[in-house]
Amino acid sequence: MSGIDRMNLNTSSQSDIDEIESLFNISVQPATLEVPQSVPPARKPSSPPTIPVSAPLLPPSSVSSSSQAFSTPAPAGPTLSTGFGGGPQYNTLTEPVWETLKRDLVRVSNNLKDVVLPNPYREDPGKALRDWDLWGPFFFIIFLALTLSYSASENKSKVFAVVFATLSAGAIVLTLNVQLLGGSIIFFQSLSVLGYCLFPLDVSALVCQVNNTKLFRSLVVLVALAWSSWAAYPFVSTAVPSSRKALAVYPVLLLYITVGFLVLANN
Amino acid sequence: MSKGYHSLGDEIVSGSVPVAASSDRVLQFQDSFSNPGSGSQGGANGSSTGSGWQSYFNAVSYRPYFNVDTADVVERIRDSLFPFKGDFVEKTSHNPDMYGPFWICSTLVFVTAALGNFAAFLSAQSGSWHYDVNKVSWAAFMFYGYVAVIPLGLYFVLKYLGVVSGLVQLWCLYGYSLFVFIPASFLCVVPWDIMRWAVVGVAAVMSAGFLAINIRSHVKTASERWFLIVTSSAALQLGLALVVKLYFFTYFYHDSLVHV
Repeated sequence: MSGIDRMNLNTSSQSDIDEIESLFNISVQPATLEVPQSVPPARKPSSPPTIPVSAPLLPPSSVSSSSQAFSTPAPAGPTLSTGFGGGPQYNTLTEPVWETLKRDLVRVSNNLKDVVLPNPYREDPGKALRDWDLWGPFFFIIFLALTLSYSASENKSKVFAVVFATLSAGAIVLTLNVQLLGGSIIFFQSLSVLGYCLFPLDVSALVCQVNNTKLFRSLVVLVALAWSSWAAYPFVSTAVPSSRKALAVYPVLLLYITVGFLVLANN
Repeated sequence: MSKGYHSLGDEIVSGSVPVAASSDRVLQFQDSFSNPGSGSQGGANGSSTGSGWQSYFNAVSYRPYFNVDTADVVERIRDSLFPFKGDFVEKTSHNPDMYGPFWICSTLVFVTAALGNFAAFLSAQSGSWHYDVNKVSWAAFMFYGYVAVIPLGLYFVLKYLGVVSGLVQLWCLYGYSLFVFIPASFLCVVPWDIMRWAVVGVAAVMSAGFLAINIRSHVKTASERWFLIVTSSAALQLGLALVVKLYFFTYFYHDSLVHV
């Protein structure tokens, strides 16, 4: 078991392997017809290829449905909780690229909706953002840094560096702050939440590109700031003892005000 | 068997019958713990995660330094605004915290950089102002560097002179002493140079006075060179205030328009 062997294959043994895989996939996911469909067209035998052959990864018996964000048409197979808050455990190597991207995009948008829009589970730290990931925060930070750097009149690369460093170091420091004050949170989940809460500021940076008057920009940034802080507040405040709530929340506000100022002052 | 804290923890956890020798070590452990100044770091390391060097990298082992409530922090900040009481070190000796220094420094970095740029914006001729992002980097370097390094130097000097003082307490003292610069920065936005100098002067005197009086009350009885130490640390604080004023809040106007 284990092992990814590489070997030179003839077309006949390839079709054997395809058959085994498709049988496995059918047995695990009885409802979907997509997967077996996607497998044969991928194997155009041109020259004897070397393909990595991996043994089936999972016994179908060890299935538990912990992640509930999978309400999508993508192959919804058995989902165990991995280190990254959930994800499919079957062999995703053979699926089309679009499937992989779509799964991640759907997850990002679901998480975004959970964090940024009003939702009834906000106050409950156990339910908030179970299926966290780090792609969303990464994109938002890069996007914000790029936008601000693009619109800066000089020192463009320095602006990018400062924004990126402030945001990423800030998220890490904020998480450490909560842990040091006696709260118990998962490190990466907190990074994830703080990254998703950056979304309103991204929108405001984009909107500020359109119109350059100070008053308009101040209003937009103010609204975005309030929105970001409102989104991040329940997660952080429920994580620490109530006598230290302000100590944990203040740095979050400080970080977002800093970023808001960077957006505002960019010209 | 003189591994000290390491073997002590093991013995207690394993439930073995404590030998008479280990009970001595128990006393020794508590002794160094009850001396809040010097060995607090070693005590915390020995008691929390066990192994010596790894606990430096574990966030949980620094928790004793963040054991403050909101009310505590607010009270300490309020104390730092009254420089002539001189009992700050005594009050915080049982529970020095690193939360205050770190976040006061971070706030200062942001506030001076942002307000420095804003003050430049107010004083500048229209169209010639651009956001100077170097201010953020320099502010971070200055404030973090000052609060990290100077107390370290002072700690070594005091150790050389034989005075007992904890490093974390010194960090705590220096961190809170910088708080007064935050309101001062807000007042320095006003584009009136005399007022800026006045505000910075008052803040510098308050801050340096706070520092000096507290160090004096801590060091006075223990060494005859206390006056030198006190005045040099006060002078360094004044120097920092001067640099802050000159770098963040001084602008040379491009035309010869004169502002009062």
